Amino acid sequence: MAPKIEYYCPCLAESPYPPPPHLASSSYSFHALHNLFFCEECDAVRCNRCVLVEVSGYYCPNCLFEVPSASVRAEKNRCARNCFLCPNCRNTLTVVPSDPPEDVDSRMSPIVSTTLGEPPFFLYCNHCRWDSAEVDITFEKPTGLAAQLQKFEDSAPESLEFERLKEHFEPFLRASSSSTALPSASSHHVHTNPITAAASSALARDIPGVGKYNPLSRSRIGRDKAAHRQEYPDYKSRVEVGHAAALSGEVDVELLRHLETVGEVASLEQRWSNSWVTPLRASDLKPLRIPLQSKKSKRCPSCRHILIKPEQKAQSTRFKIKLVAANYLPAIAVTLPHAQAALEMMKRSSAKSVSAAAAAEEQQTAGALIAGHSYSFHLAFTNPLYDPIQIRLAKAVVPAHMTEDAEAAERARRSTFQIQLPSAAFPVGAFAEAWEYDDEDEDMFLDEDGVELLDARGKKGKDGRGKSRSVGIVDKRANVTIVSGEVLIPKEARGDVKFNMLVSYTYRSDDPEPSEEVEVGTPSRSHGTNKAPEMKNFSFYTVVDLGSIMYREEPKLTADL
Amino acid sequence: MDLPIYYTRAEYIETDTGNKVSRRATISGPQNIILGGKTIIASGAIIRGDLRRTGPGHAVVISLGRYCLIGEGCVMRPPYKTYRGNFNYYPMKIGDHVHIGANSIVEAATIGNHVEIGKNCIIGKFTIIKDCAKIADNTVIPPNTVVPALALFAGSPGRFVEDLPESTPEMVEAQTKQYYTRFQPLPQER
Repeated sequence: MAPKIEYYCPCLAESPYPPPPHLASSSYSFHALHNLFFCEECDAVRCNRCVLVEVSGYYCPNCLFEVPSASVRAEKNRCARNCFLCPNCRNTLTVVPSDPPEDVDSRMSPIVSTTLGEPPFFLYCNHCRWDSAEVDITFEKPTGLAAQLQKFEDSAPESLEFERLKEHFEPFLRASSSSTALPSASSHHVHTNPITAAASSALARDIPGVGKYNPLSRSRIGRDKAAHRQEYPDYKSRVEVGHAAALSGEVDVELLRHLETVGEVASLEQRWSNSWVTPLRASDLKPLRIPLQSKKSKRCPSCRHILIKPEQKAQSTRFKIKLVAANYLPAIAVTLPHAQAALEMMKRSSAKSVSAAAAAEEQQTAGALIAGHSYSFHLAFTNPLYDPIQIRLAKAVVPAHMTEDAEAAERARRSTFQIQLPSAAFPVGAFAEAWEYDDEDEDMFLDEDGVELLDARGKKGKDGRGKSRSVGIVDKRANVTIVSGEVLIPKEARGDVKFNMLVSYTYRSDDPEPSEEVEVGTPSRSHGTNKAPEMKNFSFYTVVDLGSIMYREEPKLTADL
Repeated sequence: MDLPIYYTRAEYIETDTGNKVSRRATISGPQNIILGGKTIIASGAIIRGDLRRTGPGHAVVISLGRYCLIGEGCVMRPPYKTYRGNFNYYPMKIGDHVHIGANSIVEAATIGNHVEIGKNCIIGKFTIIKDCAKIADNTVIPPNTVVPALALFAGSPGRFVEDLPESTPEMVEAQTKQYYTRFQPLPQER
């Protein structure tokens, strides 16, 4: 497994320290850099777990039609054009005409070739060969199929019942929402956290009549309900419930009695996503209109500033606002030089023969961390800012009171690996657009650079085998600086080599007003003004995973050391 | 940081615009194929530029953008159908920064920019893949499927799995550029 690094988002934690990385639960707090956002206002990293998500637009994933939010409700969140899912395999269905008449003359005649095919049309699955003629659904014309099918959908007894229920409760909801509107102004904002507040306001916007959720006012509504109960008549269903259930139950029993294969019963997955009761028999399943998808904008959970705002166009991959952490924090890549050297050696030797499986197996063992050895690892920092930064690394130390079982922690500490990181601050060059340009002439230059680097690394690898090993800067070019650290694995160590690392970096702040001391500056890609550069500091936690420790019983290897 | 991927100089033809095409790839109808530059076609790939639209004149059958990779053993075949009684092939258009994994079969109509297709995939006829989508390894996309932008598809038949992060375009672009610089002739041959 390749070594990797992940960044910490403190949203789940109660303390400012990241959880110990060997706990399984810690994986929820660490994310790859490209999944993180950065809020300029709060000067903090945000992740997908903590941002507030809002729907900014709906579209059909098949025909890519952007559905106006007004019609989303009327169309029941599904595509109202010609898009259907196969009830068997969830593939999209295509409209196909019936087979043309057999005799060749009519097929060649211009009348047939100008039309789109012979009616009746039906829906056909390209994957499992299901077609809608099996369930007696055919169409006279190949357009507006959803409208033709919606008639069936709306006339389903469940749908009618639901409409009736809605009608019945409409006046009640209207009354209760108006009654809750008054107390909500006074007491609401105290007890709702931002997430539930946003959710409830979104719900209130989409479904009129649903008041803002508030655990306090709930009981009050209950009392109101009790007071007003007499004003509303009892609901009378269209069909007597017990009667209807008994009817369908007997049919089901009869069906199951004559069952021959399991496939005749529709699987849970096939019945799951439908709104209404679906037939028990797989052969009775109806095509489904495709559920709509949404484009989402994201907000910072604490200051509500927008972090992600997509463009209106559904299929555009550009964003009006996109504050991703990759533009603010240095990107870090971890490598194990000894594993890379081994890999290269193998590639060269096994270029001709050696089966792929054997090579893969060898790769695994060659790059392994063996107990009782020490290895150096490289951390490559890439600066995304237009100004040079100074980085300082530290091993994250959790204060003693944080660990509840001190004895166990001590034992764990003793038996596991030791990490050495460069203690001095090191610079990383500024990002310049020029590095991005890779025109033909520059390619040559780049190539040479690559060679030089490789040689250096090769030498490094040899050094690694000997005694002398360095902890410090290995290489520096453009906006990338590579530093090396060292890990010492004792003989009795087990598990993964995983440790938390605190990365702090100083950058030139370009806050316009230095008088505002309270406000913390934010690193930003834009160039600062001509004022004297003010240095700001930002730190974040990461977890470095170098891979798991291999344990070998071979005495020869240990003697080698 | 990543190691270079070496190839023997004798195996690859490099064009003026930096395309690297393996001599062991089967390129049929090269006059109907457009490569955008810095595109790599690995050994064993089959590109059927000869399956052109019937009719007179010049026809572009397969066009690839910049920084693409056609993996080992891939088959790129333009889609075909019988429309109004006439059998015909239709052109295939592929954007920039598209990587197609080894042994995949592609019969798509359009593939956008920054698309990643895994190994051993089957992309059915007339499939439309929008920008920044990703197809996981071993996925079968049935004919006429539309894969929306920034979506991950997987399975057989391929289905929507999750939304990809907003920074996907930058990531894929960096990856494909890095792959091209890593892909170089053996040092002793230079």
